[in-house]
Amino acid sequence: MARTVLEASEIGEKARRDLLLLLEGVRGKKNLVIEKGLAGTLGLFVKFSTLQEYGVDKVFFLENDNVDSSQKNIVFLARSDNLNEVHAIASQIKRLRQSGQTEHEISIFWVPRRTLVSDQILEEEGALGDVNVSEYPLYFVPVAEDILSLELENSFRDLYLRKDPTCIFTAAKALMLLQQHHGLFPRITGKGNNAKRLADLLMRMRSELTASSDFRPSGAGYELTPSNTIESLIIIDREVDFPSALLTQLTYEGLVDECFGIESNQIEVDSSVVGTASNTTSQGSSSGPGSASQPLRKKIILDGTESLFKSIRDTNFAVVPQVLNSVARRLQNTYENRPTASKTTAELREFVSKLPSYQSEQTSLKLHTNIAEEIQKFTQSEIFTRILEVQQTVAEELDPTSQHDTIDELISRAISLPTVLRLLCLESTMCNGLRPRDLDAFKRAILHAYGPQHLLTLSRLEKMGLLSTRSGSAFTPAPLSKSGSGTNYSYVRKALHLYMREVNEAKPDDIAYVYSGPVPLSVRLVQCVLQKQYLASLSNKHPGATNAAASGATALSQGWRPFEEAVKQIKGATFDEVQRGEEKAVRAKQILNGSGSTEGKTVLVFYLGGISRAEVAALRFVGKRLVDEGRRRNLVICTTGMVSGNDMMKAAIAERDFGGR
Amino acid sequence: MSASKPMSGWDKVGDRFYRKVQLYTAVFDTELELENYLVAGAPYSGALAFHRNENKLQTVRSGSTAKAAIDIYSCAGKLLRRINWDKGAIKGLGWSEDEKLIVVTEDGTVRVYYDFQGDFIPFNLAHGADEHGVISCRFWSTGFVALLGNNEFVTVSKYEEPRPKVLAAHPEGEIHCWTLIAPGDSLSRSVEVLFAIDRTVFVLDATEAEDRGLDRGPFRHLAVSPNGKFVALYTDDGKVWVVSSDFQNRFSEYDTRVKTLPKDLHWCGNNAVIVAWEDEVHLIGPNGASSKYYYDNWVQLVPDIDGIRLFTNDACEFIQRVPDSVEEVFRLGSTSPASVLLDAVEQLEQKSPKADDDIQMIRSNLDEAVDTCVKAAGHEYDVHWQKQLMKAASLGKSVLDLYNSDEFVEMCETLRVLNAVRFYEIGIPLSYEQYLRLTPERLIERLINRQEYLLALKLSDFLHLPTERIYVHWASQKVKVSLDSDDAICRIIVQKLNGKKGISFEEIAQAAYDEGRAKLATELLNYEPRAGKQVPLLLNMKEDVIALDKAVESGDPDLVYSVLLQLKKKLPLASFFRTINGRPVATALVQALAADQDKELLKDLFYQDDRRDDGCNLLFDEALAQKVLSARLEKLKLAAKLLQDSKENTFQAKCIDETQRLLKIQDAIEKDAGPGFTGLSVNETIFKLVRIGQLKRAQRVQSEFKVPEKSFWWIRLRALVSKRDWIELEEMAKVKRSPISWEPFYNEILAAGNTRTASLFIPKCTGLTVSDRIEMWLKCGLIVRAGEEALKAKDLGALHDLKSKAAGNTVGELDRMIAQLAPTKR
Repeated sequence: MARTVLEASEIGEKARRDLLLLLEGVRGKKNLVIEKGLAGTLGLFVKFSTLQEYGVDKVFFLENDNVDSSQKNIVFLARSDNLNEVHAIASQIKRLRQSGQTEHEISIFWVPRRTLVSDQILEEEGALGDVNVSEYPLYFVPVAEDILSLELENSFRDLYLRKDPTCIFTAAKALMLLQQHHGLFPRITGKGNNAKRLADLLMRMRSELTASSDFRPSGAGYELTPSNTIESLIIIDREVDFPSALLTQLTYEGLVDECFGIESNQIEVDSSVVGTASNTTSQGSSSGPGSASQPLRKKIILDGTESLFKSIRDTNFAVVPQVLNSVARRLQNTYENRPTASKTTAELREFVSKLPSYQSEQTSLKLHTNIAEEIQKFTQSEIFTRILEVQQTVAEELDPTSQHDTIDELISRAISLPTVLRLLCLESTMCNGLRPRDLDAFKRAILHAYGPQHLLTLSRLEKMGLLSTRSGSAFTPAPLSKSGSGTNYSYVRKALHLYMREVNEAKPDDIAYVYSGPVPLSVRLVQCVLQKQYLASLSNKHPGATNAAASGATALSQGWRPFEEAVKQIKGATFDEVQRGEEKAVRAKQILNGSGSTEGKTVLVFYLGGISRAEVAALRFVGKRLVDEGRRRNLVICTTGMVSGNDMMKAAIAERDFGGR
Repeated sequence: MSASKPMSGWDKVGDRFYRKVQLYTAVFDTELELENYLVAGAPYSGALAFHRNENKLQTVRSGSTAKAAIDIYSCAGKLLRRINWDKGAIKGLGWSEDEKLIVVTEDGTVRVYYDFQGDFIPFNLAHGADEHGVISCRFWSTGFVALLGNNEFVTVSKYEEPRPKVLAAHPEGEIHCWTLIAPGDSLSRSVEVLFAIDRTVFVLDATEAEDRGLDRGPFRHLAVSPNGKFVALYTDDGKVWVVSSDFQNRFSEYDTRVKTLPKDLHWCGNNAVIVAWEDEVHLIGPNGASSKYYYDNWVQLVPDIDGIRLFTNDACEFIQRVPDSVEEVFRLGSTSPASVLLDAVEQLEQKSPKADDDIQMIRSNLDEAVDTCVKAAGHEYDVHWQKQLMKAASLGKSVLDLYNSDEFVEMCETLRVLNAVRFYEIGIPLSYEQYLRLTPERLIERLINRQEYLLALKLSDFLHLPTERIYVHWASQKVKVSLDSDDAICRIIVQKLNGKKGISFEEIAQAAYDEGRAKLATELLNYEPRAGKQVPLLLNMKEDVIALDKAVESGDPDLVYSVLLQLKKKLPLASFFRTINGRPVATALVQALAADQDKELLKDLFYQDDRRDDGCNLLFDEALAQKVLSARLEKLKLAAKLLQDSKENTFQAKCIDETQRLLKIQDAIEKDAGPGFTGLSVNETIFKLVRIGQLKRAQRVQSEFKVPEKSFWWIRLRALVSKRDWIELEEMAKVKRSPISWEPFYNEILAAGNTRTASLFIPKCTGLTVSDRIEMWLKCGLIVRAGEEALKAKDLGALHDLKSKAAGNTVGELDRMIAQLAPTKR
């Protein structure tokens, strides 16, 4: 069995190969009908021109229901777990058959697997007949060289609103595939009820894999043995830490996401990149953006292949203009020092050979300068300042009610609904709910300002646990009788240092820099596992902290130790499992490899329910810190999808209003 | 031990040797009239299927089976299974490479016999097969093509989920003969059919028929070589042609000089063609060289990938080209190193010193000689010569200093396996090449199907292959045939299989259930470790609740969905809800399912569970979906009614009430102020009213919904700014106090670009510091006013600052102010 180091690029390459192989299986030219959500995902690892080379003539969106009969072969590509899509495909197949001019050869590639239910539905609709059904086992997709995402658009809504565990199962499948390739994760540590479910599923799947006959690593024994390239898997349930995703992200990439909304590493901006920021003077929902004369929109790809973006994506935005300036100066210098006619030809040649990279750097500098200016318009607005003020107050555990007037005013000024809701949810999740009187007042204000349909929105937020009424006092919630029913922020804030008063944005010394003060709890949890000594040293630096366990942190303790007490005060189940192989096999392996050091091993951090870009930045910072401490790890972030506070709100916000939209 | 000469049975055809190996003798009953049977042999020396050809006359014989049947024999003539046949005329009999027997009847029904027990899966060719009838079929490893009565070809490319497809239309005419090129071998990677019409041959695939432009037909036989590269044709005048499969190159022509039409034309490997009459066989090699074999009675041919098997009543023979390594060792007068090495072993056995001479002679090529001997041993059927060759290899190895023995060891194992399955009671005379192509795993599979469990187990252990399939098959068979009580069977099976890994108890339970032993099935199912696997069977067994629990336990939402969908279909609603009640995962999934697909179900569910607020939300959502006011109000009324007598949801009830009022008010406004109000929120309604200058009305809306004064001011401010109604704004400035202070006025108006109006509000911002106000003046471009502000506050520093920013005559103004301030300081 190959026990290679986990590489995101390889996973993308495999996804690409699998798709092309499937396409090749359909002879001749074909029209491709694809689910909109998947189109972006595919774009992450395969180009349209490549698809064309493999016979794809035209691409249609499944949602548009407009596939024509221009080709005999028609290929549907959709997620099987989305029953709406299954029904849509069934009805489109029927339509194609009835139109009847050409006899179509229809194939369906189900992502990531063929399901019983999809078969059932197709059969009931009479569309299964002579359709070629295949599976396209697309699970993880690399969105960056250290991020593997399942790109499940609706995972947040499914998990927390609908309580539909489908994405947990998909995640488990994806992780199982990794284990089959790289060996068992020797340790699975995690936090949160859904995370626990995922871990349980992994255990169950492992035992079923052993029991099943369709899996057989040729030659090797029956059992999977622990990996020697992966050190552990850390699973974080988004539910454990809603607030971090609700805060406004202050890294460059995070703010790009806040302003433009990154989807599948792409943003859409006005071709002029000017005059878009309408956030400050938006006038309710009567004239939605883009409804009037549509300005030219341009798609921009943002990924790590662009060196400038790579270097600034994770820095605090406050520093970005300086960085851009210095890059500009450097480029200016290079250009001015260009050889004049008197220089030797060799020098000239060297200069010319550098020109292409110089030019690409120049364009990327221009692009990011424009984007940064756009963002600056937003961050320098008065409203942005007010929003930040509210967030910082809540996060620092000052009296949140002092900010209620501000929120009221923001509502009256009709700033975007997601922004308002994020503020309310932030307060609610961090302070164990709002006082009933306040909550009702806010609800009324929101219904008045944004429309009665948001009665549904508010009810959904309550279902997700993002908005609630408080029982008991704000700062000392009723002592947690059932462990893990809610997070005791006032305790955890001190124990895990969830607010840093001094933040150095230019030379960050703690992950707090991504929000300029508030610390993402989810990443602190990862630090509890990986950076025990650092976390303990924080407590020593701040005497009066209540973390008694801090002294016990050594590099040798594993799992949650010595932070169990703090972790226990956080909502959701806590677990720490060790996966062992068959003893004989393990011993044999130890003899072969020596009891390997942990240096350079891979640690997977799985964010169930989504991860925000600021958190990614924080995790990367942790990774860099580990290198500095001489404990290099290959941190690979896995997630069901990238998520921002706005995405979370979108999951709740009512789709239509009485205006008939 | 009497070893036959290794070269017996060799024939020289052109410059190559072919050999005829006698595999088994006394194969069939002498009374079996081979000529009357339709025979098909599975690839890789698999089983044979016999079916008495009904079109031929039969001699009536007492005691013989009068009933029609399909008999499955091993190559050694052992009857493996008799399938009684009363299902119509058989027009196609063939095998897949995994030894499934495919039977195609005239009416287009295809039966796939997947085991040797007579169990089959049927499907239909459709495409008019029942109407026109099937004429004949040709098979390849994973599919087949059928020729229908209307001259259309239908292809099936896989047997799991078969999808019969019609190939392209082609010219009319009598099809003299036809064959196919398997998808794996054709250029287009899909199946191609070759057929002879008139004097030419056509190539046909899914999209088109192409004339190959021959004119020497009509052709009576067509055969494609196993690798798909060559085609052999038999002409009407007794000639055999060999051409490339794209018909671009002609390789050879052979004149049989026989007037009667041969019954068969087959390939023997990829280098020779066999033409067979009733009792005469011509082997034709490259360049028209040939060899002839004569038999006493009817001979039946079964081609394989690397040769051809010939059956007569008393023998099973295999004709193949002598493999290179074998020829190198055994050819008469061979002086190859391998041949010398073999001689050395013989000398050694006779204790002759010549052995050493031999070794010394080939010293420099010794490793090559060892390799050749090992390879030759693999191709040898005679155990004596296998041993002799391995001995030679071993001797050579012992002389060499460095030699990798892996191949040697592997060959020893392979030979043991081959000899074991060639044994006549098993009757699988695999050649070495066939074994490699078949793979050990699939060989084990074949043994399992033949119920040779013991051998299968031993070979699996020997080859380090998994054994659980064997146990499962054994147990399933046990369940089917055993007459013991359920308990006893269960005990035996569990005793034997417990503790073994990878056993699929579900499969055994399914077998038990299929036999009608439901209780045994349930018992066995309890041993299945994979919850998901139990679900389909449990559903079949009507164990709905257990099935649902197991599906939930498996964690696979697809399974849960699938169970739920089936339950919903067969249970009355009330009991369906009762079933999911208390199973949160199931309930959540039903809800998710219903939210997208079935709102009525959701409503029922909420009603059943007395979830009023959810039910109310659902109705609210429906109200949103309505297009007409009255319908909306109707739905909202229903929603309100749901909450009527509950005390908890007062807030929700109030909101619904407000919504109704809002809709009505907006409707009323639209009647005289024009459309565009419905769908707006309260605030937006006020905003719009202010914009169109209906302040009074806006105020009425405000009081109706108790919009706080602060909000109202903000809305009014924004509306006026967006309208750019500066006059009205200036009017507002005349009021003494603003509940939101005056600063927002300044900010909003400034943002709209009107510095003049904005500046009007600066003096009113009394709550701000002087420096703030100076800043505000500055933003409006009024430095002098800023200076006055500073003067009033007696801030000399600020004045100096301002002076530095000033230009033109404002400098003088500021100087004057500074001067004004300066003396008082002194």
